[in-house]
Amino acid sequence: MSQDAAHHAPTSTGIDHKKLIMWLFLASDCMFFGTLISTHLLYRKLYPTGFTDAEGHQQFVQKLFNIELTSFSTFILLMSSFLMALAVSAMHKGQLKSFRRNVVGVIFFGLIFLGCQVYEFTHFYHQGLTIQNSVLGSTFYVLTGTHGTHVAIGILWLVMLYFYSFTGKLGGHVGALDVEVAGLYWHFVDIVWIIIFTAVYLVEYLGPSGIWGNGLPVLAK
Amino acid sequence: MSDAVIDQKTIAIETERYHHFITLALWLAAITGVEIVLIFLPLPAAVLLAVLALLSAVKFFAVILWFMHLIYDARLLFWLFFAGLALAFATFTAVLMLFETGRIDTKWFA
Repeated sequence: MSQDAAHHAPTSTGIDHKKLIMWLFLASDCMFFGTLISTHLLYRKLYPTGFTDAEGHQQFVQKLFNIELTSFSTFILLMSSFLMALAVSAMHKGQLKSFRRNVVGVIFFGLIFLGCQVYEFTHFYHQGLTIQNSVLGSTFYVLTGTHGTHVAIGILWLVMLYFYSFTGKLGGHVGALDVEVAGLYWHFVDIVWIIIFTAVYLVEYLGPSGIWGNGLPVLAK
Repeated sequence: MSDAVIDQKTIAIETERYHHFITLALWLAAITGVEIVLIFLPLPAAVLLAVLALLSAVKFFAVILWFMHLIYDARLLFWLFFAGLALAFATFTAVLMLFETGRIDTKWFA
């Protein structure tokens, strides 16, 4: 038996209800993001031409994306996940100060990630990619915007946990469990980005004209 | 068993995990670096796509198994999450297949 499984909660499954519900929620959120990613890939395949800017010029995604910036924000989110794991570990050991230090790091990294996303969205908007002017804009902003909203909710949750830790009520097994549940949510946000980074950003750079090519929409042929 | 003994055991377990987390974080950063280098290599798109998908899957499962404690936790939680993941993947495959039959050219795979 695994180490954590040995700590049985007094429930019929032996798993604490908060943790069980969080995993159920994450499983359902998998389907939610699965649908959004499928939609984006499908429409990228059907409409590989990118988008037309306000002046009527054809724009291609490969030139629009900034892979250095996206790689940096991916690295930041991965490291925030690492700090979150340390924060959870600190709470299990009852080290409240260590928990606070790590959680401040997670919040800081999360804010950097959101800052990068805001910069990226603003840059794309000024380049002519809006949520209304192309299929690419619609699917891209909805997918990455939904993920960004998840990150923002996670940051809010962690800020509340941070301040709650000063009340003296965040301690013991229950406190550690609360932090662990918040950690599960944060790690989930990270794994979703791992998929988005590959499926939305990296695939655009495969081949001389991107994996989707630069041809006309397939259905219009 | 006294509470003090349990605490010592927990601290020992968490200290061991601390080192695993650091190692994993380094691996995740390294894999992300490899992914970025890969996309600029003159290799066939299909090969690169397969390798990128594999590396993403490795990062994905590394995070859920270690950072999310699935490897330490009850098996039920793994299967619960895996069910959602399988449904998501099935939806993903079904959507792509539905719109593929006879309508999309194969230059995508060239």
